[in-house]
Amino acid sequence: METADLSHHISRRFNEDLERVRSKVLGMGGFVEQQLHKAITALVEGDSTLGESVAMDDYQVNNMEVSIDEECSRILATRAPAAGDLRVIVAIIKTITDLERIGDEGEKIGYIASRLATMERPADKYREIKHLGRVVSEMVHDALDAFARMDVESALRVARQDRLVDEEYEAIQRQSITFMMEDPRTIRRALDVMWVVRALERIGDHAKNISEYVIYMVHGKDIRHTSLDDVERELRQGAAGAAGVTSARN
Amino acid sequence: MQPATQAWWFAAGRLLGTVLIGFSAGWLLGSPWGGLACALGLHLGWQLANLFRLEWWLRHRSYAEPPDVGGVWGEIIAQIVRLHRRKRFHKQRFVQLMRQLQHSTAALPNGVVILNAQREIVWFNLMAARLLDLRRSADLGLRIENLLREPEFKRYLEARDYSNPVVIRPATAEDCYLSLQVVPYGDGQQLMLVSDVSRQMRLEAVRRDFVANASHELRSPLTVITGYLETLCQDPALDRDLQGPVAEMRRQAERMTGIIRDLLELSRLEETDEVGGGQPLDVAALTSLLRKDVLARPVHPRDVRVRIDSDSQLIGDEPEIHSAFSNLVDNAAKYTPPEGSIEMRWWVDENGGHFAVTDTGMGIPPEHIPRLTERFYRVDAGRSRATGGSGLGLAIVKHVLQRHGAELEVRSTLGSGSTFVCHFPPERVQPARAVLAATV
Repeated sequence: METADLSHHISRRFNEDLERVRSKVLGMGGFVEQQLHKAITALVEGDSTLGESVAMDDYQVNNMEVSIDEECSRILATRAPAAGDLRVIVAIIKTITDLERIGDEGEKIGYIASRLATMERPADKYREIKHLGRVVSEMVHDALDAFARMDVESALRVARQDRLVDEEYEAIQRQSITFMMEDPRTIRRALDVMWVVRALERIGDHAKNISEYVIYMVHGKDIRHTSLDDVERELRQGAAGAAGVTSARN
Repeated sequence: MQPATQAWWFAAGRLLGTVLIGFSAGWLLGSPWGGLACALGLHLGWQLANLFRLEWWLRHRSYAEPPDVGGVWGEIIAQIVRLHRRKRFHKQRFVQLMRQLQHSTAALPNGVVILNAQREIVWFNLMAARLLDLRRSADLGLRIENLLREPEFKRYLEARDYSNPVVIRPATAEDCYLSLQVVPYGDGQQLMLVSDVSRQMRLEAVRRDFVANASHELRSPLTVITGYLETLCQDPALDRDLQGPVAEMRRQAERMTGIIRDLLELSRLEETDEVGGGQPLDVAALTSLLRKDVLARPVHPRDVRVRIDSDSQLIGDEPEIHSAFSNLVDNAAKYTPPEGSIEMRWWVDENGGHFAVTDTGMGIPPEHIPRLTERFYRVDAGRSRATGGSGLGLAIVKHVLQRHGAELEVRSTLGSGSTFVCHFPPERVQPARAVLAATV
């Protein structure tokens, strides 16, 4: 009787620990999302102070990563989780690395934004960047939502969207090259813009990674380096078994 | 006699009759006890059959008609049917009430989310789903902060001060502002109210921009007017009759410049919420500067004292703090007669740092004190205009203090003077020892 009570107690504490870490990861994600949003706003609106504040605040993301990492190590050491719980911890450790990188890219955009604010603004007012930034922000948001909901469908959708970002990246690159050839005086600005676009493209990749960890966390399948169509087919086939897994996790 | 009692008498009579008939029939046939046993057996069989029909009906009562039997059994069945009907009626009424309640909360223009003690979503209405992008049934049981990840909301939850709503800006929606307020109730449960305040925020932004732009645009023509008036004043060839009016025009133009300067300062202060860091300021140096300013006024109180009780420094934005303190000291100087006195005092205790300005002026009636920091608020029409204030000084003080996490306290006795105290939180105070260590 007593032992049953004790094990129940331990598993409840363990669940609470897991939930707390998950919330912390998502809190970090929320902060990173906001940093990204601010960085893009700073660039599009030419707000150098906002850009600087984004670059200054990146240390908070790093602190959060370190603290979550420590907590994960502690859980691994003291609770020795298995199966689904272990996958959650592994996915968290990977997710925070990607979030931290997104934070770094955001810092870069903020820094470039504060520099570009002093320069002459192009006629299109960075419309392409605004659009790409929106797509990428939504990807990060949806990836984190999928993480919170353990939602494989949305995660797959995010992973698919990465192709769109790559195409957009190509298009902006071609356009920038045309500008540079037309008027060499814009080369400096165009190079900076390329850095921003590159950073956004990288953020898209990180969002894709996060959504892949969600699939790993729910199904225990590593889908990195496999084509998405294969993944989807495989997941649909195993849907019956997977449904059991998802409901057990929820 | 009640039908039930009647039925019981009837049942008793029937049993007695059965016994008598069985006994007498048996007696006639030569075996009275055997006849009695037969009659009782028949009676028992009949009762068992009734019992069986009742039980069968109870099991299949959703579609079967109640058995048609008389006597006590009929009474029992009638009772059950009545109970059943009453229960169904109450249940229907309850369901109807629930449905009405759900319809009315669903129709609320505001979003409503019910959270349990772990802040997991228990229920939400349609508007909440739309505003927060929640999904029916799939999101039940998820922690709200996992889906609403805005750092402002996280801070709001961590602070556990739910007296005011928090405004967040969802990262994915353009120009959308949501106001969220948590209302704890019952046993650790929480109700979260969500409303879309984008329109109010846009109007507020338009108003702010308008004030800032209008003040900015007014400044240039005013500079030209003041410039010409200044030259006119110093022109010895100016007609004597015009000298008075021109001097008055110059004074008023200067006052207008002051108002516009204050308006611009206010709109600058409104743009951001809080000063992050700031530098340690030497309050003693600042107050002695302010004292010199007062003594430099053409008419000033005879006695201007400074009392510094602590070497601790104040951490803040220097120009802003200077502007706030000088507004307080200016006010004191304006409303204190030449024979009165002003005291500035800086002290530190466990609640933080405090800066107080005390005057022996005319004082402020208590009903005006809560509204003093409103823009252009006048205690009485003549007061501020006679002394040439802009009417914005205390509004600026309030904003600067807000941005430093500080509060303004006003104490006043009509006729004997007022005290304005700025209470700064402990984290805004840097102890003297730390200052020494830093300089060494």
